[in-house]
Amino acid sequence: MWDIIAVDISGRHRIKGGYYMVCAAAALTVSANYIEKVKQVKILPLWLKRAPSLLDIVQLIEDTADQLSFEGTIVAEKGDMYNKPRWVTESMFSRAFKYQESIAERRSIELVHHISLSTRNLLIKELQIEA
Amino acid sequence: MKISAEQKPGNGNRVILAKRTIPNSDPEREEYLFQELRELAKAAGYLPVGELKQTRYPDSRYQLGRGKIEELAELVRNTGADKVIFYNRLSTTQLFNISEICKCQIIDKFQLILEIFAKRAITHRSKLQVELARLRYEVPRARAVVSLVKKEERAGFMGLGDYEDSYEQDLKKRIARIENELESAEKDDESLRALRHRKGFSLISLAGYTNAGKSTLFNAIVSECVEAKNMLFTTLVPVTRALDLGGRKALLTDTVGFIEDLPHWLVDAFKSTLDEIFLSDLILLVVDVSEKPEMILQKLSTSHDTLWDRIQGAPIITVLNKVDLVDESELDSILEQIGYMAPNPVFVSAKKGTGITALKAEIVKHLPPWCFCSLSLPNSEEGMSILSWLYEEGIVHRVEFGELIHVDYEARTEIINRAHALLGPKET
Repeated sequence: MWDIIAVDISGRHRIKGGYYMVCAAAALTVSANYIEKVKQVKILPLWLKRAPSLLDIVQLIEDTADQLSFEGTIVAEKGDMYNKPRWVTESMFSRAFKYQESIAERRSIELVHHISLSTRNLLIKELQIEA
Repeated sequence: MKISAEQKPGNGNRVILAKRTIPNSDPEREEYLFQELRELAKAAGYLPVGELKQTRYPDSRYQLGRGKIEELAELVRNTGADKVIFYNRLSTTQLFNISEICKCQIIDKFQLILEIFAKRAITHRSKLQVELARLRYEVPRARAVVSLVKKEERAGFMGLGDYEDSYEQDLKKRIARIENELESAEKDDESLRALRHRKGFSLISLAGYTNAGKSTLFNAIVSECVEAKNMLFTTLVPVTRALDLGGRKALLTDTVGFIEDLPHWLVDAFKSTLDEIFLSDLILLVVDVSEKPEMILQKLSTSHDTLWDRIQGAPIITVLNKVDLVDESELDSILEQIGYMAPNPVFVSAKKGTGITALKAEIVKHLPPWCFCSLSLPNSEEGMSILSWLYEEGIVHRVEFGELIHVDYEARTEIINRAHALLGPKET
């Protein structure tokens, strides 16, 4: 069993007034092919007037993961990190980082993707943000 | 595109292999990928007579730099090569531009894989799948191909038509026709799978990276002799054989191997073949453990990528094959490094036959569970016929003949429910 923090960001496209992104992070225990336990989930929204840089993305992920009470390797999709090679992104994080590999990690990313997307949709509706 | 292969002397299978690598990439990994290209060329029956590599970001017109392409053209002239195979995916314009300079046929890795598949396709269905994959590859390029071909045409009365559209439409119509035909084959497969399940067979499939030793393992488990070679994509048509696991009946299927960067249109074209894996009760993921751990991880990652959203939670056993080529003291360290990607690992040497018993035990452990029950049958002709049916459908652990026939029995829930229904509540 391995402890991971799966992260996903929704809203990387421009809307009226800038970029409204929501990052979801879930602390999970996974085996090689199954999610064994979902321990905690946290979300963090971010408004940016300009297009997000890789550093902004790293900061947003770090801030969201910091809210969790559990430790673990941060797992993200390569596309979220502008398809940068692992050695580039790994060196930018303060904790262990990797791209999704195993079936369980891919399932975890799928889970947080749905969380971040539905949270963003809800916030956009509730806060009446013009998308 | 100009194809000059026919004009040249020789047997038409001399090729030059070319690859562009991005700056700062791992040289060892790049060499491995190049080796994979060499083996793919060998599997397609080609004889590589030259190689060319360049490290740079892609050039939109030629993929490699213009100077390097001229170097490639000179290499083609000097070696008398009939074809150039690129590792990188080439756009239609790149294919056209490079073939204009090299004066020979240019293909990329995906066309090479299609050629291999086309050569090995023996059944009607696999031929359809190859044709479907080829057409899907061609559709996005159709317009560009036609406009490149007619670039030098001159306008005149009725000279220009709309055949750019009609060529594309024609391809799409052929795709739809093949899809329909494959769909009906898939329905046949679905009903066959349902029938096998009803008959009490559990479905097990062998999956894994190409050349991992799936066919050798298949032969070792079911004592068969399907073709197994040290070559990529030896198996293209799935082969299924019955397997007896201490009373439990299973069907084991050997399937086509995975490869890195296999495009989705190719996976989709082979859907009806890959469904054998995706819809099975248990997957044996075969890995060549004699390779470096980084390589094993890379291949496992490719396999997980192909499987993850299609297997609907089916359990996986990772078969670490070719253990005879590894020092026994290294096995633990290898397992430690690849453990997070290898569910339920079992070390096996399919060639030497070691570890097969342990693998079979692991398979039984992960098959869909059967239920235990005790039945009392009437000692009559009807009771004997039910007993004989029970023998066919599950495992009879104990039978005691007396006034009634007492049976300790293990089978799927549906069979036990049916037995209860046949007997009525009093007898059970």
